[in-house]
Amino acid sequence: VTDALTFGQILERHERELFTYALRLSGQRADAEDLYQDTFLAAFRAWPPPRRGNERAWLYKIATNRAIDRERRARRIVANVDDLAIAAPERDDVTLADLAGAIETLPAGQRAAFVLRKVQGLAYAEVAVALECTEEAARARVSEALKKVKAAVA
Amino acid sequence: MTMDMVIGEARERLLAKAKKEGLATVGYDVLGSPLGPLWVAIGPKGVTTIHYGDEPSDSELRRLVRVYGPGVVPDPRRSSALARELEEYFNGTRREFDVDVDLSGLTPFQTKILTATAKIPFGAVSTYGAVAKRAGNAKASRAAGGALNQNPIPIVVPCHRVVGSNGSLVGYAGGLDVKRRLLAIEGADVARRH
Repeated sequence: VTDALTFGQILERHERELFTYALRLSGQRADAEDLYQDTFLAAFRAWPPPRRGNERAWLYKIATNRAIDRERRARRIVANVDDLAIAAPERDDVTLADLAGAIETLPAGQRAAFVLRKVQGLAYAEVAVALECTEEAARARVSEALKKVKAAVA
Repeated sequence: MTMDMVIGEARERLLAKAKKEGLATVGYDVLGSPLGPLWVAIGPKGVTTIHYGDEPSDSELRRLVRVYGPGVVPDPRRSSALARELEEYFNGTRREFDVDVDLSGLTPFQTKILTATAKIPFGAVSTYGAVAKRAGNAKASRAAGGALNQNPIPIVVPCHRVVGSNGSLVGYAGGLDVKRRLLAIEGADVARRH
């Protein structure tokens, strides 16, 4: 795949995945829409993507940072299970209940680590880009998050 | 509520905001037609692109980005007038297009050739040599063919009306069959011979 030349290309390639991520992070459709909008507007303003072939991880990084920023200002977040069901996890080892548990118990950064790896299915190299940390730190964060989620839904 | 509907609504709001900020400059859509899908784009000065197929070529996109920046976004509303005129043309109820065309970003030679081509009336044909002559260089018929092959706005800028001096169809970016069909829609003599 060549680098995106236009906003339309980056939208068509990644908006579905990024919207799903936004919904899985925020647990509410309205918040997900705001996050999706913030993410792509920020990407358009910061155009072009910084590194060849890495536009996807770049978008995840923008979305993750925005989500963390938003939650610093917001009330405690509550998952709306009807909204969340639109973006139900498609992997065998993570259920909708796990995801709802992650949303309600994990702080934003740790939740991002969990969702990026366990729900979105990103490689650790991409998770590291999105979280702006080393791959090793990304692994540690995911494993810590996973433990908390399993404890919360047990 | 499906994911497609939810994203569709979110996208519309995103693009409205991007437009307000001046981040979206060109709107595109994929239109259905009897010739298959057409990727069309509209810029601030009019129609910039009609591309045979549902995705533009990289060179088409590069031209748009060079002239109008990366703000090339999906925007079906923007192409509604073109969509209507094309439909009328294909139905046989329109002989001339009223939409503005925008040839920005082309070389002066391409612009001259395409401007000359735009003057060939519905149902008539001209030759590569005649178009080159009208563009000011009678010897440039081969180069004229090259410029017409790169025509970013086929159908509306009717490069299908340019044929060889012996009446052969020669070539067409959308394929010779498409050229034949367009000439047949217009009842051009040459269509009956091929």
